[in-house]
Amino acid sequence: MRSIHLTRSLPAFLSALAAAGLLAWAILGESASHADVGSTLVAGSVCEAHELKALAAEDPHVSVEIPKEFDKSFPTREACLSHAAAEDPDSPGPLQPIQFSHKHHAGTYEIDCQYCHSGTDVSPAAGVPSVELCMGCHNQFPKEYDQLEGIRTLKEHWEAKEPIQWEQIHRLPEHVQFQHRAHVRAGFDCQRCHGAVETMDKVYLTEDTIWWPWGLPSKKLEMGWCIDCHRENGASQDCYACHY
Amino acid sequence: MSEFDRREFLKIIGVGAGGAAASACSDPVEKLIPWVIQPEEITPGLPVIYASTCQECTTGCGLHVRTREARPIKLEGNPEHPVNRGALCARGQASIGRTYHPDRYRSPVERGADGSISALTWEEATAKVASAIKAAGSKVAVLGGQTGPTLSALIDSWLDAVGGGTRVVYEPFAREALREASTAVFGVASEPIFDLTDTDYVIDFGGDMLGTGASPVEHSRQLMGARDARRERGRAARLVYVGPRLDETASASDEWLAPKPGTEGLLALGIARVAYDAVRASGRTPAGDVDAIESVLKPFGPDSVASRTGVPAEAIRRIGSAMAAADRPVALPPGVALTSRRATATNAAVLLLDAVVGAVGRAVTIPPPSEGPVASFRDVAKLIDAMRSGDVSVLLVHDTNPIYSLPPDSGFAEALEKVGLVVSFASMPDETSERAGLVLPDHTTLETWGDASPRPGVRSLVQPTIRPIFDTQSLGDSLLAIARALGQERAAGLPSGSFRAVIESAWSDTDFRAALKRGGEFSETGASLAPGVSPGIARLEFKEPTFEGDGSFVLLPVPSPLLTDGRGANLPWLQETPDPITKIAWQSWAEVSETAAAELGVTPGDVLSIETPYGEAKVPVWPRGGIRDDVVALAIGQGHQVGRYASAAQEGAEGRVRGASVISLLPSLTDESGGRAWLAAKARVTATGSFQRLPFTQGTDNKRGRLLGESISLVALAKGESPWAPNQGAFMAAAPHGEEHGGNGDASDDHGGGHEGPHEIRRAFDPSDDSEDGDPFRWGMTIDVDKCTGCSACVVACTVENNIPMVGEEGVLRNRQMSWLRIERFVGDGYQQLQTGRPGPQNHEALGDTDVRNSPMLCQQCGAAPCEPVCPVFATYHTPSGLNGMIYNRCIGTRYCSNNCPYKVRRFNWFDYQITGWPEPMPLMLNPDVTVRGQGVMEKCTFCVQRMQAARQDAKSAGRDVPEDGAIQTACQQTCPSGAIVFGNLKDEKSRVNTVAEENAGRAYRALHVLNTRPAIQYLAKVKREEGHGTGHAAAGPVRPEKSA
Repeated sequence: MRSIHLTRSLPAFLSALAAAGLLAWAILGESASHADVGSTLVAGSVCEAHELKALAAEDPHVSVEIPKEFDKSFPTREACLSHAAAEDPDSPGPLQPIQFSHKHHAGTYEIDCQYCHSGTDVSPAAGVPSVELCMGCHNQFPKEYDQLEGIRTLKEHWEAKEPIQWEQIHRLPEHVQFQHRAHVRAGFDCQRCHGAVETMDKVYLTEDTIWWPWGLPSKKLEMGWCIDCHRENGASQDCYACHY
Repeated sequence: MSEFDRREFLKIIGVGAGGAAASACSDPVEKLIPWVIQPEEITPGLPVIYASTCQECTTGCGLHVRTREARPIKLEGNPEHPVNRGALCARGQASIGRTYHPDRYRSPVERGADGSISALTWEEATAKVASAIKAAGSKVAVLGGQTGPTLSALIDSWLDAVGGGTRVVYEPFAREALREASTAVFGVASEPIFDLTDTDYVIDFGGDMLGTGASPVEHSRQLMGARDARRERGRAARLVYVGPRLDETASASDEWLAPKPGTEGLLALGIARVAYDAVRASGRTPAGDVDAIESVLKPFGPDSVASRTGVPAEAIRRIGSAMAAADRPVALPPGVALTSRRATATNAAVLLLDAVVGAVGRAVTIPPPSEGPVASFRDVAKLIDAMRSGDVSVLLVHDTNPIYSLPPDSGFAEALEKVGLVVSFASMPDETSERAGLVLPDHTTLETWGDASPRPGVRSLVQPTIRPIFDTQSLGDSLLAIARALGQERAAGLPSGSFRAVIESAWSDTDFRAALKRGGEFSETGASLAPGVSPGIARLEFKEPTFEGDGSFVLLPVPSPLLTDGRGANLPWLQETPDPITKIAWQSWAEVSETAAAELGVTPGDVLSIETPYGEAKVPVWPRGGIRDDVVALAIGQGHQVGRYASAAQEGAEGRVRGASVISLLPSLTDESGGRAWLAAKARVTATGSFQRLPFTQGTDNKRGRLLGESISLVALAKGESPWAPNQGAFMAAAPHGEEHGGNGDASDDHGGGHEGPHEIRRAFDPSDDSEDGDPFRWGMTIDVDKCTGCSACVVACTVENNIPMVGEEGVLRNRQMSWLRIERFVGDGYQQLQTGRPGPQNHEALGDTDVRNSPMLCQQCGAAPCEPVCPVFATYHTPSGLNGMIYNRCIGTRYCSNNCPYKVRRFNWFDYQITGWPEPMPLMLNPDVTVRGQGVMEKCTFCVQRMQAARQDAKSAGRDVPEDGAIQTACQQTCPSGAIVFGNLKDEKSRVNTVAEENAGRAYRALHVLNTRPAIQYLAKVKREEGHGTGHAAAGPVRPEKSA
């Protein structure tokens, strides 16, 4: 194989490469991802429209074009981001039948956890809100909201009187009898066990690492994690309290 | 590649394997499905209780249906209902299974001529019935069991509306003879009501009032209350039983007389004669026609009765005088088993006895005649004639199974062939519905509207507690739909709207919502009459009944305490719960006396051939001492060919009959009232030479002198002599005053250290020491063996509450039954006997001996439990509140704990009953608060820890630290008709569990106490109430069976 004598000509080669790169960058411009190579960025959907508007607000030099059909307020930017985050295969948590965003409801609008999950302080089971509860608010909102796929799906369920089949995230094994009301009554906030739900677009089991005295990690909802909290707070560590 | 060394390799393999394991171990994803519209009253996780009525028999006890997430999971008695006051019998407990039964019809079906079944819609089915009825004109007949008053009235008006027809009410166990007797004796055609509250002398003439009688739950409660051994001697109620067989009531009696079968009425007259003389001598006169009374009683002097019945004259005199002198005596009439061809006269004799001793108007009330049709066997015979002659084109059958329950001699099966269309409303297949051309399945009790009125003053409602699981429709709605399909003019005479609307309008005179919540309308006493004896009694003939057949044994068909008349046979809980007397499950057996068995040359399990002129059955024998030598007894209820559990389909033999039906051996004969005579045949009994293993759960009633089902005589009790004191605390000598006793904490003053007077409460150990010092609880029980009749309601209640699987006949044959609670039945104190090899079943009863002890045995939650130290993985341990906790997910199945348990109350899951135990839709009835155990795991009674947890959480939510005494009721305690089980906190001195034991300290003992297991359960011994004559009365003595000439 003929040698190229790279070692001797390496510095020269590299500087030539760098010069070529600089030239390309100057010619092609900063954002090469949009159509119409040039200075105007055109939105291809309502979500892109939101992004471009935000971009234009940041950087007045960027010119954006929003076609009329995409110049709408729904879906909101937040909904778009939430949906994107939910569909991102790298994000934690499973896909739900409706991309319900806790970040939007519990975070932005600060709806109390117990408004929807009403059984938490009176029942062994926390409960998930009925379709009727969702419709209680969503029935009253303007029609534009229906452009959101999730709300459309909700209303379809309501019309058809079909319950929504959520994927369960926080699930204890069958041999554990858990009393939700005892924990709520003890004054713990929901975030302690469920994580910062109000920041989640998709609900998932948050990682938790509590180092036992033996230096072993334990995850949320594992027995070691439960016992650790019980031990710290003087709650019952009797096997029979939960396993019967 | 050189970079990749051994360490890297192990790391990668380790992580990979761990990752694989982790992903394999994660639970499959489950769905969380909320409501679309959540009902306001339902909070998921909390039970909602509805009041309803049990329709498992005609007694009509009130129910509290406990539902979770809109499905019933447990039935309990309604505490406000005057009949059962919160208790519920075994049959009622098991009846929840009807709603979830896998056999149920999923929709209306049509049976083609070739036997093929096709599903129909309700419109199609209704149209077919309507067109058949239109063509039939007035040749329509309705044959059904007793229903509530509103439905009954609707059926009558329906028949009128559709063009006329016949209605026949048929109940196999109808009390027609009693009604006719009441007409003769009092001139009122109704069934007298017997109230045992505060009684001091009861004679039950074969009615088995505590087991299979007219109102067993109520009578158990009343008798046991009256009899509470706390009361002073002489005021406690004495029970005398008259009957040929040692059944539940005889086992609970103080004296058992066994006259010749069929002569119970003569015995009643003999007693009445003695009582009458005594009553007249004391200056009183019974109400009514004295001349008629005297003319009836005249021929029945004690000596003449003694020779006719076989009961010694001395007993007749003694009992007669006692009845006359008693404060509140009552005599109860015979039941189904003793309904002979002279049943009316027998019942009349008993009613006369009641009248003579002044019980009428007090313990015995005669309600006014009820409105609406009553069950009539005579009408059934007329219907069969009409069917046979082709006068019935459409026959509608509801709430009854006549192909099974009518004797073959009646001709019903043949006559059914001549009926054009048979329509059945059964909710699950039975012998009759399998011959119907159309089935329009009815809702089960828990899905339907209805009402019941068992007696005046008691009106109770039936309301749905779950949406209909399958495509079924209530009988009332089906009839209304058929009428509407016939056209406007037919339907005009009927209510518009649904059957629910009919119920509401029938109850429009009440506050309906309040009635629904309460369970009905209950007034203190209904209208009743206190008539005197009418002259009509003189027209009855009092003599021995006739029997058909030339055999040497009288065939005694006994109602099964669990299967009743056969209707319970398809409920697996009733099949698997052992018979209270013989402890046999899943099979039929024939009872003969030990002497008769010896003569026949048979031992338990040998198959007998029992032959009457009407049929023959091959049944394995169960010899026992508690039956007359000239009687062969067979329980009614088995012998089904249809039904997953009722037939042998459960063992894979589809279509094969399970056991034998005694009904196939009986004639279709009546008594004077036209009612069905059950005791009317004599049988030839021979050994066949073959053998059949009987599935029994307790092979011997000999307790070998061990401290188990104990009894103590009233005399000894009054004197304060307690036979067990030396046994109590044999290893735990009570500490002297003030001295610490190693490791047990404070020696409290009532340990009685050293000083033992006769009336002190002798407690050898303080159960409070068996729970943690800081814990407010030490759970325990007090079980009164004197009150336990062996009815096994607690067993079925526990099974339903705790998701206990049924193992089937094969399982019971291998002793693998899973029930956590069993009723141990012992006769006498027992004796040691040398046992070699594998002894067969043994029986130590004797005629006239009533020393039978029924003792519920469950996990004793021992303070020094032998099962705890031997578990290699710590799956069973002592909880802070004193229980023995069983942790299923930790158990690895070594079974050492069961090996070590002296009470043998631990059950092992040999198979994956989690998968096989509940065929669809039965998983719907599982209690969500109790883990369903998988294979390889031990289980045992937990003192209903799930109820404890729920009660503790409820108390905390309500701001109380601990639940109050009585807030936690274990399933067994809750359902017991006698109130024999009391559960509570032993650390609370004022709790009932302690006060009941202290009041009865003289008869308190702990099971197998000498083993020093420190059990949490105290038993109260059965009381023998002698009258100075020993434990019983061997009245009839050994009677040789008559040899046929």
